[in-house]
Amino acid sequence: MSVNLRESRRQTFYMYMFISPWIIGFLAFALYPILSSLYFSFTDYDIIHPPRFIGLANYTEMFHNDLFWKSVTVTLRYTFISVPVQLLLALGFALLLHQTIPLRGFFRTAMYFPSMVSGVAMSLLWYWIFNPQIGLFNYILSWFGIQGPAWLMNPDTALYALIIMTFWTAGSGMILFLAGLQSVPASLIEAANLDGAGRFRIFLNITLPIISPVLLFQLIMGLIDSFQVFTQAFVMTQGGPNYSTWFYVYNLYTSAFKEYRAGYSSALAWVLLVVVMLFTAIIMKLSKRYVHYEGGGHK
Amino acid sequence: MSILKATSSRPSVSRPRPKVEPVKVFSFITLVVTTFLMLLPLFFMVSTSLKSKREMLKFPPTFLPESWQWSNYKDIFDTLQFGTMYMNSLIIAGLSVFGTLLSSALVAYGFARYRGKGNQFWFILLLSTMMLPYPAIMIPQFVLFSKMNWIDTFLPLVVPAFFGSAYNIFLLRQFFTTLPDELFDAGRIDGCGELRMWRTIALPLSGPALATVAIFAFIYSWNDLLTPVLYLSSSEKFTLPVGMASLTSSRFRIPPWHLLMVASVLAMVPIVTLFAVAQKQFVEGIVLTGIK
Amino acid sequence: MNKNRKTLVTLIAATTLIVTTLSGCSGGKSVGNIAGEANGGTANSGSNSEQVTITHYTIDSEDRTFIEKLIPEFEKEHPNIKVKVEKAPYEQFDSKLQTLIAGGKSPDVTSHYGYGGFAEYYNKDMLFDMTDLIKEEGFKSSDYNIPDDLMKIYTVKDRTYGIPVNMYVTLMLYNKDMFDAAQLSYPPSDYEDKNWTFAAMVEEAKKMTVVSDNIAKTQYGVDFTWAERDMRPLYFGAEPYSEDTWTNGGVPSETHFDSPEVIAAYQKLFDLIFKDKVSPNSEWSKSVAGQNGDPFVAGKIGMSIGGSWNLAGANDFPFKIGVAAVPWGGNDQVRSTLYVDPLLILKDSKHPKEAFEWIKYLLTTDVQEKSIELSGGNPPVNTEAAEVYYKHFEGIDPADVKKVYEGAIKYGYESYNHLITNYSQINDMFINEMQPVETGHKTLEEVMPVIQKKVTEIIKR
Repeated sequence: MSVNLRESRRQTFYMYMFISPWIIGFLAFALYPILSSLYFSFTDYDIIHPPRFIGLANYTEMFHNDLFWKSVTVTLRYTFISVPVQLLLALGFALLLHQTIPLRGFFRTAMYFPSMVSGVAMSLLWYWIFNPQIGLFNYILSWFGIQGPAWLMNPDTALYALIIMTFWTAGSGMILFLAGLQSVPASLIEAANLDGAGRFRIFLNITLPIISPVLLFQLIMGLIDSFQVFTQAFVMTQGGPNYSTWFYVYNLYTSAFKEYRAGYSSALAWVLLVVVMLFTAIIMKLSKRYVHYEGGGHK
Repeated sequence: MSILKATSSRPSVSRPRPKVEPVKVFSFITLVVTTFLMLLPLFFMVSTSLKSKREMLKFPPTFLPESWQWSNYKDIFDTLQFGTMYMNSLIIAGLSVFGTLLSSALVAYGFARYRGKGNQFWFILLLSTMMLPYPAIMIPQFVLFSKMNWIDTFLPLVVPAFFGSAYNIFLLRQFFTTLPDELFDAGRIDGCGELRMWRTIALPLSGPALATVAIFAFIYSWNDLLTPVLYLSSSEKFTLPVGMASLTSSRFRIPPWHLLMVASVLAMVPIVTLFAVAQKQFVEGIVLTGIK
Repeated sequence: MNKNRKTLVTLIAATTLIVTTLSGCSGGKSVGNIAGEANGGTANSGSNSEQVTITHYTIDSEDRTFIEKLIPEFEKEHPNIKVKVEKAPYEQFDSKLQTLIAGGKSPDVTSHYGYGGFAEYYNKDMLFDMTDLIKEEGFKSSDYNIPDDLMKIYTVKDRTYGIPVNMYVTLMLYNKDMFDAAQLSYPPSDYEDKNWTFAAMVEEAKKMTVVSDNIAKTQYGVDFTWAERDMRPLYFGAEPYSEDTWTNGGVPSETHFDSPEVIAAYQKLFDLIFKDKVSPNSEWSKSVAGQNGDPFVAGKIGMSIGGSWNLAGANDFPFKIGVAAVPWGGNDQVRSTLYVDPLLILKDSKHPKEAFEWIKYLLTTDVQEKSIELSGGNPPVNTEAAEVYYKHFEGIDPADVKKVYEGAIKYGYESYNHLITNYSQINDMFINEMQPVETGHKTLEEVMPVIQKKVTEIIKR
């Protein structure tokens, strides 16, 4: 009994020791901005004049706002398509490049390359690639006899163009999976091989459980990031054409800096936080059954 | 209990397979095709960076430059304070990577290895800091740093990294939790202090993860535009993305896209270098053997 | 400086302390104490010399930041004033300005270079009323060769909030090579030429338009991007905003976007694309021009009606160009949109007087002349300096540039984007709602009532 108590105190003590840099940083740099934005969300704040408390008015307003609902649909569609596909691509690339294969270092660098390029340059390149007249994308489609759409200039396809773009950044996810795959003991695979297990079975029963924490990480971060997708809409489409890429955070940004409504914008931010938190909690809960943790001091 | 040891294994040695497998041939072909797609942007970048301003305006655009303007690579230094910006970016990104690695590895270890009271609470708080979009905290954060007198210094861009980045903490936590408890129990029996175990057991076994964090932290800082735009006001402190944004900022001039591409190509050099070094970690990753 | 170093040292010390504590495996210190210290230690940096520093906030691009080169001369003349230039890329101009103001670091001098225009700043109460300073200092616009009409733009209810510094106008650029190939005579630069009408322009355009399956061969006669979308009806004499807008600081009491006159005006413009087929649709324009460009630049447009900034790149165009008057479209008073940029003093400025000194300096004929070269061709409002501007463009007759500019001023109206409140929202809405019409998927009759409703909502905000 007392041994357990001492152990739990010891664990608590060391945990706080190790995480204290972050707690200090949180208190010093994050707490004030976070609480401020929470406070702003209950005010009418035009940035120029001091905020004025208006209770829940910002929160109730958004439910009657067309652009809010538009931004919710656009963002959800973006998230539910791009996150799973990107995960699968990243895992696929990682598995391909985990093998011993000629030119492996080159392939890895090449796959990661699009993630290295900065935003402005990349968006210009995408403009060319998606150009309906001379773009590469429609040129490739034409090999298969498909007349490509106007992509970024067409309200029906602009969102999908942005989703397709994210596939080029699957390299980031690939790196993470590659790092995860390094902890798969080669001896285990060999043993399984000797037992005559097929590749797919080895993957399902050995590899997948071991990389599951990385998978969970990518799923949650993918969700958090794609709910906040902003830059592409900001730089390339300005939310258009015809609001087809009017993402949630784009809406939030315009509310603050084009409409001078920092209060409403903060309320949008907090609604987003709650929703993403819910999604994360659900995933975490479900993952307990599937994600495999080797250690973690569970004693 | 089995004997535990960490060894560096070479995959090429542990899997000697002289014969050509059909799976590998298929993999290789898939890789060639995807690599081609992945490298297209690079091709466009380099090709555009070598075009003349006049050729840039052509429609349909040329595939390869008509005349190769190597002088563009000199012109960028006349157009922007390119050298200064490059140095500033290197300093900021370098410090950020160092700070992020050190602090995130410590904090992640705390979250991963100890089931202390409040672990869940702090971890959820950590995650939630990533869920508020940056535009929502931009103004109060500026107010804070401005009260600290940090405006027009590198401090707002560098110091927070020394207190851990939520993303990288979460990432490393996931890796540290996969390390078997037995390793640490053994360490404890040997009388290792907690920080020593962190340094001598957890860190060496997490080479690939740490390399990943280094790459991510570098790219994040290297390509960051919004924070330096907000916090820096003296031109001689500007970073590379700020300079690149200035090339396309005039609404009344035709932007020098060719120079932007020159800057982008040059901006990739440190990232590619870092990546080339770091990805070796993935080849010679340290693999645990002999567990159970 | 000292203080912030202290904060930093405290923070680093805190981290070091934790690390050493951990490695020693000894008892811990309270985390709370350290955090408390880290949070404190902020103070204001007070300088109490007589010298005053003013900040000029502008866009980080070479046609704006050239003012840095004017500072040494100014500071020599005004030893008590130091000028600092604060800048941001175009996309971040508004957000940085607002953040600076919110953070108590408001710049002193700026202009409406972001998404929003003067009226937006005015209605948000961001601007310093210069009227008294102008009187006190005995500032006369005539001393700076600023036409009275232009001074009035930024005067609301007899109070002056901004002083014009640069002026772009709407003009027609034409591709001489395309005119030559079609054996057409060049359009006139004289605004009084009665034969130069919208219909005449369409006729010329038809002769230059080639629509082909080969994208390299396709070209259009005219691209009519006159002003922002909501202002275009004015060209044909239809007024979408009520008269009071122009006197009350940009808050229209009524709008008429669904009126038959306004719809008819828009119809004439869309007829260029869908009926006469002499203009490209937006999709073609964008794919030919790329991200921010103009298909005229690619040499695929015979006549381009647009802002005079299009002249700035003229020296790089791979074809010969000329400037011409905007044809007569049915409005006797207005044929050109003016884009007059003022210098503004922000309300939170602590040194408006010194800021005004700097503004005056920027407006002097001498500095205005110098600025043309330094900026790479910014058009001055100063009529004397303008003579230098007219000569700035290689291969274009200065007399033509002058005629086009003077005609544009005579028949000019200030761009709505500077004059109407909440304009960045109105403009965003227009771009998005008009899009289906521009691609031919919806009719004006369907879209305009929606626009009318949304404009009303936005103005009320």
